[in-house]
Amino acid sequence: MIPLMRPALADAEGPYVTRLRTSRIGTASDDAILIEGADDGSVFSGRLGLVVIDGVRAEDLDGDIVLVDPRRGRVERLLRVGSTTNTLLVTERCDQLCVMCSQPPKKTHVDRFDLLEEACRLAPDGMLIGISGGEPTLYKERLLTLIERTLAARPDLGFHVLTNAQHFEASDVARLGRSAYRRVSWGIPLYASEAALHDNIVGKEGAFAKLEEGLAHLAMAGARVELRTVVLSDNIDAFPALAGYVAARLRFVEAWSIMQLEHIGFARNRWEQLFFDHVQRFGPIAEALNRALLHGVRAQLFNFPRCTVPAAYRRLAIASISDWKRKFAPACLRCGERSACSGFFEWHPDEQAALAVQPL
Amino acid sequence: MTFTPLRLRAIGGESEKALFVNDAGRFFLGSSAFLDRMDLEQLSAGDLAFLRAGGHVVERGDALGAAAHARGVADRIARAGPLDYLILVPTLRCNLSCSYCQVSRVNENQGGHDWSDDTLHAVLALLDRLDAAHVKIEFQGGEPTLRPDLIRAVIDRCGRFERAEFVICTNLQRVDDEILALFDRPDVFVSTSLDGDLSTHTRNRTGTAEATSAFLGNLRMLAERHGPTKVSALPTIDPNNPPDIDALLDAYVDLGIDSVFLRPINYQGFARKRHAASREQGDGWRGYYESFVRRIIERNWADRGRVLEETYLSIALRRIFQPGSERHVDLRNPNPMGIDYVVIDHDGAVYPTDEARMLARSGVVDLSIGNVAEGWGGPTFDLLNANSTNQFDPDCKRCAYQPFCGRDLVDDLARYGRIDIQRRETAFCRRHLHLFDLAFRLVYSDDDAIRYSLARWLRLPGEPAAFGQRLA
Repeated sequence: MIPLMRPALADAEGPYVTRLRTSRIGTASDDAILIEGADDGSVFSGRLGLVVIDGVRAEDLDGDIVLVDPRRGRVERLLRVGSTTNTLLVTERCDQLCVMCSQPPKKTHVDRFDLLEEACRLAPDGMLIGISGGEPTLYKERLLTLIERTLAARPDLGFHVLTNAQHFEASDVARLGRSAYRRVSWGIPLYASEAALHDNIVGKEGAFAKLEEGLAHLAMAGARVELRTVVLSDNIDAFPALAGYVAARLRFVEAWSIMQLEHIGFARNRWEQLFFDHVQRFGPIAEALNRALLHGVRAQLFNFPRCTVPAAYRRLAIASISDWKRKFAPACLRCGERSACSGFFEWHPDEQAALAVQPL
Repeated sequence: MTFTPLRLRAIGGESEKALFVNDAGRFFLGSSAFLDRMDLEQLSAGDLAFLRAGGHVVERGDALGAAAHARGVADRIARAGPLDYLILVPTLRCNLSCSYCQVSRVNENQGGHDWSDDTLHAVLALLDRLDAAHVKIEFQGGEPTLRPDLIRAVIDRCGRFERAEFVICTNLQRVDDEILALFDRPDVFVSTSLDGDLSTHTRNRTGTAEATSAFLGNLRMLAERHGPTKVSALPTIDPNNPPDIDALLDAYVDLGIDSVFLRPINYQGFARKRHAASREQGDGWRGYYESFVRRIIERNWADRGRVLEETYLSIALRRIFQPGSERHVDLRNPNPMGIDYVVIDHDGAVYPTDEARMLARSGVVDLSIGNVAEGWGGPTFDLLNANSTNQFDPDCKRCAYQPFCGRDLVDDLARYGRIDIQRRETAFCRRHLHLFDLAFRLVYSDDDAIRYSLARWLRLPGEPAAFGQRLA
């Protein structure tokens, strides 16, 4: 696991964003430059003074865009230069309460949009930046402003926003249809085509109806949508019907990601109740994949280690888990498909992972 | 409640009367009982739920249903992007004289039928002006390998593109080191004609067994040297004298080629006189085509290790199920002319399609829309594009297959000299009605062998429970 949060000491009064550099070559005014490095920590010096970061080697930080928070005594690695999966958390509030939520929401909101926007402007060329929460569109105006201002200044960047699509209105359609939004995709969870089942899973009555409205607005805006469905004991048998629904009503989506459960957050304590072992019965997922693919919907499997998927479907199981939270079982070392594999979440129980794998 | 317009076509037996298709190309097979209920306006709650789920009914307030329908209709409309596909004819000379040659080729040693220096420079200048990041360039003839220098000059000029793919359409009669060096490039693909077994190929094309052997030797050498993805081959079928199906398939399978694009003789060029019957494709052709498809289904089922396909049927299936996934320029709607692809002839004249070039060569009608040095446009170009859609054709707009079908003006001109004869009276229409009838009979078959082949042709990992829905 790659640590994203590190203890740190800093001169400055309030939080700020800077880029860490180990050499002076090609540096800019927002950069903090290494002045002393050791295996257990490094000292960088920038416009707002010194920052001392614990426990990471300086060369692993070179180019990272970090948020320095002196009062809390830490730095947060917002955008790591070598990684293809960087996600900015814009709020921890949410208006849904999904049974398996991997990042249970909080009541309070700390507005960091301005700092995050600064980070985006410093991002390396062409980076795809993830935005997550909580529910980012609870602060829709702040969110869209961040996206638009960033893309106006940095048209090379792209955004992928995870949202429950409960807050898009007809009045947003023209705005979301602007050309800058070609560089934005929306990852939207949908758990069943039956309203009651979906509402039950997301813990909000009327969520399905609201989601359909939101998707309609996105469809009319020509927005890029990635649907996401987590596999649960509750919805596994609803997968074939959901695939029919996606093919009939949501064929415009760029992709449909079928995701295996993450052993964290609420799911950790409800594992027995929620987890569906696709190795025991792949049928409903196979039928869903075939139905969706038949109609040209690009269906794919997230968080499905390749060896746990029948050979014919393996090409659909992609390396979906971000580098900083991915691990493999010991037996995976001799697997020939490891580089194309999702592996396991860092927090997946080791015993289970070891039992699941059969190196290919 | 609003109905999205449904079109009907009888394809089933007694109890399953008709295929229902809406403007977005969504379809189901309805029973005669359902047909009666619809006729009497006595739809059940179950009918309505089914129609709503399938996008055949959009109720007031169903914003997503309305959006899905709008997007679905839009998906059926072909969009022509920037010019990124060129068919180049560096020479009209050829070292063969096939009985049904479509382009009125000239003899190998005849002068004045190759690109001039000016034409070459104009082609290269055109390449420099292209906006596309990816280009596909096809060399036609004549026999383009008679001028490897011209092919090389074009390929060398394409280095600036993110991706460039070259297809050399050749009879593979002579492959010397210079030509082989071109074929060896990973971005070069070879397309050739293989009419079946040795005797059929000799009769149709080469004239002598020795020439056929030389061709087959070259074809085999290429397939072995680079694997089957390097070479694609097409048979031209004389419906009055078609080859034995298994012999034809074996000839392809032997070379490791699994996709066969079965084409009847094109009513073009020399074929207009020597194969006058090719103006219409009769029941003989359609029967052969269907037997061919049935046979590959059987063979696929018997040997799961190898998936044979008839290319055009696979294209039709993808147009039914996966709009937008297919860019076959001979079957699309609208079919824009001279926009995303053009043909540049040996004399620099620009045509909208290869068949348009053939028509001009045969003296039927000159459909050239300009020349490579000065550009193209003007009245012919405008007239063709104004008529390039099947959307408003009185026959097509009632046809269940309109969302899947295309429009081929040049084919109509070739056969009938005009484009305004009733659509259903054209060979194009009859061919595609038959093709889609066949496709839907396969879609609604419960035969495991058929379902297996369908899934493979549609590139699915497994077989879905059903390819099409039914309403009892």
